[in-house]
Amino acid sequence: MTDLALDIVQQILNGFLFGSSYALVGIGFTMIFGVMDKLNLAFGVTALGGAYVALGVFHLSRGPFVLVFLTAVVASGLIGLVVEVTCFRWMPRDYPLAPLMATMGMLFFIDEVVSHATHGRPMAFPAPMGTAMLEVGPWLLRGDLGFMFLVALAVMGLLWLLVYRTRLGLATRAVSQQPVAAQLCGIALRRVNASVFVLTGMIGGVAGALIGSAVGNLSPLLSLPLTVKGLVTAVLGGLGSIPGAIVGGLLLGVVEYQALYFFGIGYRDMITYLMLFAFLVFRPGGLLGQRAGG
Amino acid sequence: MTHPRRHLVSILVLAAFASALAWFPAAPALGQERTVKIAGLGAMSGVIRGFGINSKAVFDMTVDELNKAGGIKLADGSKARIVTTFVDERCNAEEGISVVRKLASEDWLVVIGPTCSNVAEPLFGILQQKVGAAGDSGLQFPIFTDTAIKPGLAKISEWAFRNVPHEPTMYNHLFKWLKEKHPDVRTMAGGVESDFAHSNSNAGTMEAAAKAAGLELLGWEKWLLTDTEFSTQVGKWRRSKPDLIAISSHPFTLCGTLREMKRQGVKPKVLVGLTSSATLETMVGCGPEAEGLIIPTGFAPVTPEAKRVAKVVTERYKGNVDIHSAAVFENLQVLKRVIETSGVEAKPGTVAQDRRRIRDGLAKIKEFDGLLGKVKRLDDRESQKPYVFAVAKTSDWAVLHDPR
Repeated sequence: MTDLALDIVQQILNGFLFGSSYALVGIGFTMIFGVMDKLNLAFGVTALGGAYVALGVFHLSRGPFVLVFLTAVVASGLIGLVVEVTCFRWMPRDYPLAPLMATMGMLFFIDEVVSHATHGRPMAFPAPMGTAMLEVGPWLLRGDLGFMFLVALAVMGLLWLLVYRTRLGLATRAVSQQPVAAQLCGIALRRVNASVFVLTGMIGGVAGALIGSAVGNLSPLLSLPLTVKGLVTAVLGGLGSIPGAIVGGLLLGVVEYQALYFFGIGYRDMITYLMLFAFLVFRPGGLLGQRAGG
Repeated sequence: MTHPRRHLVSILVLAAFASALAWFPAAPALGQERTVKIAGLGAMSGVIRGFGINSKAVFDMTVDELNKAGGIKLADGSKARIVTTFVDERCNAEEGISVVRKLASEDWLVVIGPTCSNVAEPLFGILQQKVGAAGDSGLQFPIFTDTAIKPGLAKISEWAFRNVPHEPTMYNHLFKWLKEKHPDVRTMAGGVESDFAHSNSNAGTMEAAAKAAGLELLGWEKWLLTDTEFSTQVGKWRRSKPDLIAISSHPFTLCGTLREMKRQGVKPKVLVGLTSSATLETMVGCGPEAEGLIIPTGFAPVTPEAKRVAKVVTERYKGNVDIHSAAVFENLQVLKRVIETSGVEAKPGTVAQDRRRIRDGLAKIKEFDGLLGKVKRLDDRESQKPYVFAVAKTSDWAVLHDPR
């Protein structure tokens, strides 16, 4: 195999592994949109906020990574609930732009809180996998990204069970399809909405902790890229489609790595957003969205 | 018992009256207390807030010390207390210009700052270009920069002064020294955070210095300030096996790159970093991975005064003295000297004259004592500062070579 072929395969593998983090963040965006038909721009920073809380707990307790991970999940779930209450529940229903702008405000608010609390400096985040690498023939696979990929698969499996095998999942699907009818059937709309925000927040916590451990640092610099990449993933996969977010995240990862390898950093994002633009024009419903073509 | 009590009451009343009399003549003096108003300007919010925090910590510490030592002597021989404010430029040009215009419209005499080169460059552009130029309505307001490091900015206006390290001098010396110490080092690969003005311009400085030292450049890998994954870039270094890798990026992406190098087993003979990464931030973020990283820096706690300042700022002002914030200490000492020798009156009606006196005084200074030694002032209002080569060693910075 030539060096070029080896490198292309290496980039595909890297893209798949790193794309799983996009998928996790994309699921959060897409689930909230699926249920409420609204975008939550504060989702990325919810994930980051939870990771920062977990880092605080780690500094206080010096506990194991499992504790850090669980703290991130719980904290992000709670932040998700706060976002639901402040940016959606209290917002007037006649102004659809209000919750969108409120979540944008929340994004910058949490970002500044983090920035003030940490003086804007990156902080080391526990990385249980360290710098472990897995050699698969001529290719190298990052241990932490591989771990993230597996956890992402597990989260997606659990999410599938929850959505399709529980009463909450049934209620969530009902609300996402016919909110008025669901309410008439006795489903508590507010409770379902709050549950979705807590649940997606927890998924964000998983993503925040795993990304933090893969990066090795937490920084307020991460919030905007997480938000943008999560949104792009959700749009590529199809807003509202959970399987779509998974496929969209992996696709985004692969495209980014190939673009970086062949064209360099100056063109990576350009190619990514050209792809987004093409999707919006030719397939606005995304890969697996139910609203393809509007 | 009544007599002694009556005496006691009388004594207390008399004492109170006496102390009131003693205090009374002092009251007008308090009202006339003289002040010199010096403003700080730095990034206090946003993602590079850390730089502003450190500058402000050193600013507060130095002003407190100067005031405790009696303040600044004015033209008429009276002593003035330094009054300060520290305003946020958010690393945003419009914000920086706006807050400086406001300071200039008030009675602030001089500004120390800003943090970011992308603020300094347009900010210097709104100052009067040549002192006394007829028809030039630019601000006549002295600015003495501590952090914004992009080469050559003070040329923009005669009201702009800088006390920042001269990176081309430091890197030329560093690469020449490295070549002497490691004659087997022949090839160099670079990595640059290409969307940040300082790291981007410094990559050019590194490249020129490496070529001047006789190294063969294999190429540059690029990433962005917010990138978190560097396997593609490091993978190219793994394949090209350079003897020396020079990384021109700030601590966040520097740490990510160093971690990826460790993962992929990329171990060059020599590793060189960006001046702005010779900070505690790098050690906190990735001390073990940074082991052996060499950076030229204008500050290290290697003199008794530098050690003292670093200790006080860390312990009492919750900041760090580093290559950038150290200049704030020096700038305030220089300003004290200038104000005391240039006839500054610090009266409400002399603000414009005092600003001009400070500017002219700063322009006349050819040398002053810095924390690492003598700092030379150049004709273009830039500084030539003493420096050392620092190396990351057991998660701390140590002096590898001291050319002072």
